[in-house]
Amino acid sequence: MDLEILQGIISIIIILGVAPLFAGMVNKQKAVLTGRVGAPILQPYYELQRLIKKETINASGSSFISRISPLINLVTLIIAAAMLPVGFWKPLISFDGDIILFAYILGLVRFFQILAAMDIGSSFEGMGAAREATFALFAEPIFFFTIGSISFISGFTSLYDIYHSIQLTNISYEVFIIICSISVFMLAVTECSRMPVDDPNTHLELTMIHEVMILDNSGIDLFLYQYSSYVKLFIYAILEVSFFYPFSKQSYLIGIIIFITGAIALTFLLGVVETITSRYRMKNIPQYLLFATAIGILNLLIYTFTK
Amino acid sequence: MKELSDTGNVLLIAAFAIQLLSIVFLSFKNERKALFTSNITMLVGLTLGLISTLSSTLFSSAEITSVSIFSGLIRLDGLSLYFLFVIQLVAIPTTIYSISYLRHYVEQKRSVKSFITFYIILLISTQFIVIANQAILFLVSWEVMSISAYFAIVYEKESEEVQTGSFYYFAASHVLIFILYIIFFLFHHETGSWFFSDYHLSFSSGLMVPVIFILSIIGFGIKAGFMPFHFWLPQAHPIAPTVLSAFLSGVLLKTGIYGILRIYQFIKPMPEWCGWFVLVISVISAILGVWYALAQHDIKRLLAYHSVENIGIIGIGIGIGFIGSANNLPAVEVLGFGGALLHTLNHAIFKSLLFIGSGVVYQNLGTRNIELMGGLVHPAKYIAILFLIGSVAISGIPPFNGFISEFIIYMGFFKTANELKNYYPILMLMFVVGLAFVGGLAVACFTKVNSIIFLGSERSEVKHFHTSVYDYISLGILALLCISIGFYPQPFVGVVNKVIANGFTTGASSALVDIDWLYFTMIFSSIALGVFVLYLIKIKLEKKYGRRNSAAWGCGYENLTPRMQYTASSFADELNTIPKAILDYHKKVEVSENAFPLQSKFKSHSKDFVDSKIVLPAFNVLRALVAKIEFLSQTDIRYYIGFILIIIAIYSMIAFLWT
Repeated sequence: MDLEILQGIISIIIILGVAPLFAGMVNKQKAVLTGRVGAPILQPYYELQRLIKKETINASGSSFISRISPLINLVTLIIAAAMLPVGFWKPLISFDGDIILFAYILGLVRFFQILAAMDIGSSFEGMGAAREATFALFAEPIFFFTIGSISFISGFTSLYDIYHSIQLTNISYEVFIIICSISVFMLAVTECSRMPVDDPNTHLELTMIHEVMILDNSGIDLFLYQYSSYVKLFIYAILEVSFFYPFSKQSYLIGIIIFITGAIALTFLLGVVETITSRYRMKNIPQYLLFATAIGILNLLIYTFTK
Repeated sequence: MKELSDTGNVLLIAAFAIQLLSIVFLSFKNERKALFTSNITMLVGLTLGLISTLSSTLFSSAEITSVSIFSGLIRLDGLSLYFLFVIQLVAIPTTIYSISYLRHYVEQKRSVKSFITFYIILLISTQFIVIANQAILFLVSWEVMSISAYFAIVYEKESEEVQTGSFYYFAASHVLIFILYIIFFLFHHETGSWFFSDYHLSFSSGLMVPVIFILSIIGFGIKAGFMPFHFWLPQAHPIAPTVLSAFLSGVLLKTGIYGILRIYQFIKPMPEWCGWFVLVISVISAILGVWYALAQHDIKRLLAYHSVENIGIIGIGIGIGFIGSANNLPAVEVLGFGGALLHTLNHAIFKSLLFIGSGVVYQNLGTRNIELMGGLVHPAKYIAILFLIGSVAISGIPPFNGFISEFIIYMGFFKTANELKNYYPILMLMFVVGLAFVGGLAVACFTKVNSIIFLGSERSEVKHFHTSVYDYISLGILALLCISIGFYPQPFVGVVNKVIANGFTTGASSALVDIDWLYFTMIFSSIALGVFVLYLIKIKLEKKYGRRNSAAWGCGYENLTPRMQYTASSFADELNTIPKAILDYHKKVEVSENAFPLQSKFKSHSKDFVDSKIVLPAFNVLRALVAKIEFLSQTDIRYYIGFILIIIAIYSMIAFLWT
């Protein structure tokens, strides 16, 4: 078999296998920083194992949408993951224009997630769905103003090529990339429902976005949703860590080491952010997102006029 | 005649003859019989027409050869054949649906013959517009199309809403045809010919061509529904019988797009400002169109605003094409025009799918207000699935057809930035973000529509949801097209590429066919396969560990009623509050001051900015002016004869001085 295809398949297996571990590490970091012992790092695996053995309960007013939505969620996220360079390797799916497919395929996930929430017919889920639709709209431009702008500057339209076009040649470009990575981090926080936009641990329905949308799911459905959210977090982690590509040019081994270090550093960063910030009021979230967008635009303009 | 010996031409002429023949069957006394036979004859005619289009050079492996018949009055080149294909393809399902839709009127003892007559004339004249090669024939067809559409729209004329809405359409189409007259008289003045094939003008030859360009954008823009000229669209589409709304929104608007592209062929290559002009108008149309849609509660009005959005997306493609043409970049032209043309087909498909779906719902519930619907997935599962396919497609989300054309347009942006460098990347990035923003809004809008109409529990009780086999056939055809273009885009992209090669580009480029379309087929199939396999596993696990239904979580409160669900207004409220001023979005909350409040009221409403702030005030000014010369209006006919003589004298004077 072709080495690149083999690498791509290994990448997907890594993403699927390691994603819960990554989430567990973030939780552990957060616990340690707040002075608790915290759950073991492997806790997400235990939870998934527990969920899969539970009885599935569907809300009585729900339809086929809430039955197929978890499946679409997971499958689509796996396809999205297959476009990302894990350990700076060439991904399984890589062609000109896959940046657009990546953004839109996450839109498919969102579409069915919102529908599944509205399917329950309860106002809790409705609230979450409306918030998701609103905030997603503000999150969309951030992706294009960061990774999209690198794409426009480099002239590549495939995620793999875009990340591989990053070079440490001149100082203004370096600053540009660093600020882009900050914006991507803010995007990741939003999309993965972490603090300060959403709180994955709260149990008060009125204040949540993602958690409230899956409030009425259980058993295998909840398993699929939870697993998808771990995969999604890891996808955004890869988007972030891939910015370190210039340091890993020498060999595969160095690349993999840098990738792993970057991922661990990212769990630490997420832990710190979640410890020192509190969740914003819903009213202020669009401002937070527009702030990230503004950083992106300003960054792009400054780079264009200083290069 | 020599040209009649060709089988393709014979087939096409036979198709038109059979379509006309279908009017004859309306002479049956029995309404039901008349409806059925004339629709079936119409279908045979349309199918024959489609066969002749499919067997033309558009779909063969050879290059497109332009065919002229009737001494050049009719000419079938790439663009004509493509639009003919779009019209016929979409007219077939809408005609099938009309059998079931109009039967409801027959059951209410209403005569449907007048409607069918105008509907048939509308279909035929629309097909004539895109194949006419002579300005007079084009204008006459256009006029017939506008008038027959008007008469079909006012079918339920006793309703006041219909009278206002149809008047908007009537007024707009009259202003439009007046502008078209000017355009073609200018062409005649410049070239001395009425035949389209003789029209070749260049921007370098003075002020005439820019004037023609601006006029054509305004004129055809009114028809297509670009933003400042869209105001008639949300007024006319909701009140038309649903069969007609599907055809109006899906196909008739595209005649405007056809017009713009045709004019482009006459006056290309464009200077670059034309591209930017179209691009900016289109982005505004797309963003505001979908935002207005989000604020609507009337399903058909909402879909009408979505047409404005989609026409905007098509316009973005055309704008990129113009920029490519200005800079002599065939690759950019191919991607821009290719995206626009493919989106024209795609929008025709999913928009008529959605309109027909909304029509089926309307027949059963008797209301267009989505706030009164809900939970229809239980009585009408398959309609819900078909409507869902259309919704995913129109939001531009993979794996259906809407994504394919938007993807081509995105590639057009990237290509433009790559080829032109300089400050273009930043400008193009702005448009990319704009298009992505439109996509996000469309997702919000169609999740709203789907969930409020079909999901949750029923807000008003539906005892028996009636559907007929014709509904399923027409929706099924359209949904199948959505899926097949999404999953296997190569053949459709190939056709579009051929159309562009036939008289659009300045040079050859394979940018469109070079996109790795196979990846899309593979990725989308693997999504479908993955979902299927996971579903089987899920079923197995559910068998093992159990599955049941139980009431939704209500914080311990058990008497949840359908009224407690999230409504369309509350779903969209946060998004509508942002551009409050433009949408003219008003909320009114009445909370009773009682210690034990029993009833509170909430009302939200959005008015069209262009309609309420520009068009209506302008008309009021006009009315005031007209009132000043009202004294001229006399009951005596001799005054009028006098006026006519004076006008003729003035015209002859001008003509005399001119020569």
